[in-house]
Parts: sequence; structure tokens; C-alpha cells
Amino acid sequence: MAQAYQDPGTPEEQTRRQFMANATIAVGGIIGLVLTVPLLGSLIPESLLAPDKAAGGSWADIPADQIKALNAKAGTPVKITFSFKYADGYFPPADDEQFVWGIKLTPAQEATFKAKRPDLYTVPSAEIKYPAITAGFVMFSSICPHLGCRYAWDSTVTPNRFICPCHGSQFDAVGKKLAGPAPRGLDPLPFREHDGTAQVTWIQYKSGQPDRLIVAYS
Amino acid sequence: MNVLQWIEQRSGLVSLTTDFLTEDVPGGASYWYVFGSATLFAMILQIVTGIFLTFYYAPSTASAWESTNYIYKDVTFGQFVISLHYWGATAMIALVIMHLLQVVLWGSYKAPRELQWVTGILMLIITLVLGLTGYLLPWDMNAYFASQVAINITSSVPIIGNATQQFLTGGPGIGTLTINRFFGLHVWLMPAALVLLVVAHLVFFRHNGSAGPPVDKDLKKLPQGRFWPDQMLMDAVASFAVFVVIVLLAIFSPPTLDVKADPTQQFIAYPAWYFLALYGLLRLAGQTPAAVTTIANLLATVVIPGALVTFLILLPFLDRNPSRQISRRPWVVGLTAISLVVAIGLSLFSQLAIQKEQADAHQGPFAPPVVAAAVTGGGSAPAVNQHGAQVFSQNCASCHQANGLGTPSVFPPLGGNPDVTGPATPVIHTVLYGLAGKKIGGVSYTAQMPAWKTNLTNADIAAVISYVRASFGNKAAAVTEADVAKVPK
Repeated sequence: MAQAYQDPGTPEEQTRRQFMANATIAVGGIIGLVLTVPLLGSLIPESLLAPDKAAGGSWADIPADQIKALNAKAGTPVKITFSFKYADGYFPPADDEQFVWGIKLTPAQEATFKAKRPDLYTVPSAEIKYPAITAGFVMFSSICPHLGCRYAWDSTVTPNRFICPCHGSQFDAVGKKLAGPAPRGLDPLPFREHDGTAQVTWIQYKSGQPDRLIVAYS
Repeated sequence: MNVLQWIEQRSGLVSLTTDFLTEDVPGGASYWYVFGSATLFAMILQIVTGIFLTFYYAPSTASAWESTNYIYKDVTFGQFVISLHYWGATAMIALVIMHLLQVVLWGSYKAPRELQWVTGILMLIITLVLGLTGYLLPWDMNAYFASQVAINITSSVPIIGNATQQFLTGGPGIGTLTINRFFGLHVWLMPAALVLLVVAHLVFFRHNGSAGPPVDKDLKKLPQGRFWPDQMLMDAVASFAVFVVIVLLAIFSPPTLDVKADPTQQFIAYPAWYFLALYGLLRLAGQTPAAVTTIANLLATVVIPGALVTFLILLPFLDRNPSRQISRRPWVVGLTAISLVVAIGLSLFSQLAIQKEQADAHQGPFAPPVVAAAVTGGGSAPAVNQHGAQVFSQNCASCHQANGLGTPSVFPPLGGNPDVTGPATPVIHTVLYGLAGKKIGGVSYTAQMPAWKTNLTNADIAAVISYVRASFGNKAAAVTEADVAKVPK
């Protein structure tokens, strides 16, 4: 044993040592605390700190030929691709490719849309804050409301329907759930005509639940 | 206590720690012995802040500057964390040097502590390599050109120079692979080696015991102090003082990020302060007559630093003087004093030379383009415009680019843009309160101009607008601070 520790010392010395030991630990603790706040704080994403900043969304132009193709096939969903400027982290804003499933509703479909999609109109937590149908068009987010895979229109099965390859959710042409684990029907996106150009706003809804909660805008 | 017993029975960790801490300090605890612990503290601070920086930093030419700029501008506490890392590096190197000087003066490197000394010198070298590799990572102008100089020095080593240089850069010149390699060295290899050496250093330290005061007496006969808690509290207090200084510097004097590295531009590179002495040697060599310059360069870049490192490593074996008393060791103490004076002298010489060159460059033909435009462009005083150029490069150039040309359809150009050179009030309004969705010259731009009112002073805004209106080919009148103050929302 080290020499200095063989004699426990007077009670005063012992008290003093206990104080020094506590003081050493306290100093270490203060440094740790002062560092913890900025270091952990630096990891909190901006979207959590200021969710308002991410809100709002912007309109992305849809190429005219795609709207033309959609118009020509009333009642049948068509894949619509477009791009919008998106700033990913520290990268400067760049074109981000995205797609939606658009459909030009037949008059019959338009008449029954509200009845077939009660989730959009009668369930407060699942309602959307914009019209689902604009000038007869509906643009569905291409993300499956179950767990976020990309579903597609399958014209080889009868009747034709949307099928998600991951877990087999199925939806009809107006986005009503036919089968599978999806908790809600397909999500329509805001759509408008502006200065002669068709535009859509990309919104990502939280998957896996009957409510529609916005995760991010384009 | 039961928890500690449970852990002790299964791991022996408690007795291991207790054994490590119950240690005699010959002659008693002293603030003279805190430098090693304070260096260790600085190293831990560097590792911790460095880990957090890697959550954002991305090593490549496309992302190194962008991600660093993101840390500075967008990450919450990002500038504080990167400033801690910057000043922590300076503190670590300063403390390593103080630790070394104390060990040399106290003669504590002598037998049986030779291996403690050798591992210490290796850690000094690794610390300097960490400084050098970290210098490149932000990928701004100085990072690029200072590293270019350092790497070219490597290539001047005879025979193996070229291969060594290419091995470091990952190719014929500095590029994205160089950032990757320096990142790997800076973040993985060097810290891992450093931590292993620290463990060895401490194990040797514990084996040999504290070296005690520089006296030629049997250390065992001195009154013995306790390492825990007496010396540890002093170490903690010293580390805390270092921490407070680093935090204050990080808050009040944060480092700045220059514009992104552009190898085609002229730029006067300057080294970190701890390389100023070596840099001074290089400058001296460059001033020798042409016939001997090659040899002088070789001496300055390879032979002298190499000899110095070799001498340092071998010191405990070369110095056969058995005494530790300072007054009985004139050679080592004298050499140390001379080395210190020479190093400080060379550093001052370099610092003054660099400052003079930078001042000259602002008027001469070798001015960096941003600054040159500021001086020759407008009608207002050059001092204001240099300030404007600085505000521009720190706040505007990341989007509008250093050349003021922007990015097509994302960030509008500022050069040759009639909205910029037109009436001043709308320009001031745009800088103060931002702008979005406006077509400029019939073209729409997707990015939003942020409002700068809260981030810049009216003087900054006046300076940067004057700078922009007098640069990139623009020739519009300057604006004053009073003009800026007058523009309502």
C-alpha cells in the first residue's frame, strides 16, 4: 500500500479529504452538464424544433403531356411523375423526382366518391383540409398508407385495382380500401390549375394509422 | 454500496480503480503536475465534440464545405460545438507543449521513465498530425491552400517524397480522396492510436510512480502526498479553468468558415499557429541564394524537423547527467531555452510576414478576387467595402456564389442584375426582410431569400449592399447605414 494512505489521519483531515473528493466529482459533473446541453442539442433536428418551418408546402408543376394522357383515360389511374426543388440537409436545393397516381374521374365515379370515401369527409382525424377532387381530377400520394411502400395500379387482375407489393393492401380506383392491412384509404393530395399549368403539392402522411398526420411537405 | 460490491466481485473494476488512485505524490500534490491531466481533459473534449461533429460532417469535395457551413449556420449549437473543437485543439497543443516543458525542466524523463517520455513524444507527433489533418476538413480556401503547402513539403522528401505525397492525397493532387484520407486519419486512425498511447503512458506512469520535485534526493524519503483526492482535485480545477477559457473563446471568438475551396483562385495560405515556426524555417530557406535554395529547403522541411523529433525521442538516452536539479543541468535547460526563443522568434517572424503579405495583397495584383473587387469596384471607402466583402463571403456566397453569379433557376445572380443596381430602397428591403417567388428578369427562382434584419447589423447590410452594387461588374452607388435604417417593412 502506498505510504501516504497508511495513516488515516485526524478526523479533520478525513473530513477535508471527503470534501476534496466530492469537489473533484462536482467539477467533473459541472463540465459534463455544460457539455451535455449543446452536444445533445445539436442532434435535435430542425423539424422537431420548428415544425412550422416545414409546413406550408409548395406547388410543383406537372408536365402538360402527362395531364393530357390522364384526361384521355377517364376512370383509369395513371402514374404522374414530376419534380420539385428539395434541399436535403446541407446540400443546395436540387430536383427531387416524385410521382403520384392521378385519375380523371368518370361522372359516375365523381357522383359516388363522397359515399365511397367517408374517411375523407366524416372522420375528423382523417379529414383533409383541401378538396379531394379538383376539376374531376384526384391525385393520390404514391405511398401506401400501411407502412410506406409504393403500390401500383394492376390492370391484369379483374377488377383492376391498386395493389401494394409489400403486404398486399388493395384499393379501388377512388382509393377505397378493398383488402389487406392498410388502416385507411389512399391519401389525395392538393391539386390545382395555375396559369394554365397543372400543379400538385407533395405531402407525406404518417403511415400505419387511420388518422392523417402530416410528416412533411414538398 | 451493494451495487459496487456486486460489480467488484464480478469484474474487479472497483479495486482496479482504487489501486490506480491510491498513489503517493512525493513532496505532496502540486499545481506543477496538472499539465498531463489537463492535456488528457482537452483530448477527451476533442473526442467528444469530434464525435458530435461527425453526425453532420461529410468528407467529399461536394459536401465537406457544405456540411461544415451547415454546422455553422443551421445546426442548433453547431457553431458552438465546432468552436469548442477548434479552441480545444489549440488548448490541447498548448497544454502538450507545457507538459513537455515541465517534464524537461523537472528532468522527469530520466530513468526509469524513458518509455513514458517516448510514448509522450509519439503522442505529441500524433497531436500535431491531428491538427494538420483537421485543418483540411472544412475545405475552405485556407484549408485547401494550407494543406496544399503541407502536402507539397512532404513531396520534397528525397526518394520517397513523391510516393508519400500520392499516398497521402490518394492521387496526383488534392481532391475528394484526400478529404477521405485525412478524415480517416483524423477521425479513426490517429485518435485510436492516441488513446492506446494514453493508456500505455498512464500504465507506465502508475508503474514508476509520480516523478516528484526536481531534487536529487530519495523520493521515498520525502513527505508523501495523496494522488486521490489531493492531486486529482488540483487536476480537476486546472481542467475546469482550461474548459472555462475554451468555452469563453468559443462564445466570443468563434472561428469563421471562408468561402469554399476554389483551386483556381489565388490565396495566401497561412498555417495554424503551432506550425508557424516550421513555416518560418521554410520562408528563411526561400530567401537563401538560388544556388543553395534546394538544400536549404530540404533542411527546413525535412532535415531539421526530422532531427528535432529524433533528438526528442532519444533525449533520455542521450542525456547521461544523473542529476534532476535544474541548476545542475545547464546543457538541457540551456538548449530548451534557446529552442523556445528560436521557436517563438520564428513564429513571430512568420506571423508578421504573413500579415504583411495579406495587407499587400489587398492593393497588389495578387489580391484574392473577392477582396480585389471590393477595393477597385465602388466609390465608397475601401475599408467599408472590405467589410462588405467579408460579410458577403460569410453570409451570401454560399447561395449567390463567390463570383456573384448564383445558380440558374435556384439562386439569382447579383452581377448584371438590374434589380440589384437599380434604386437602393428595394434592394435594402430585400436584404432586410427577404424575398420569395418574385420573377427576376422574367426568370423564377425556387430558393427563398432569407431576412437578414436579425442576423446582420445595419452597418453590415450597408457594407454588403455597397459591395454587391460595386462588384461582379456592377457600378451602382453605395448605400449608407442611415439609408438602411430608413427602409420600413
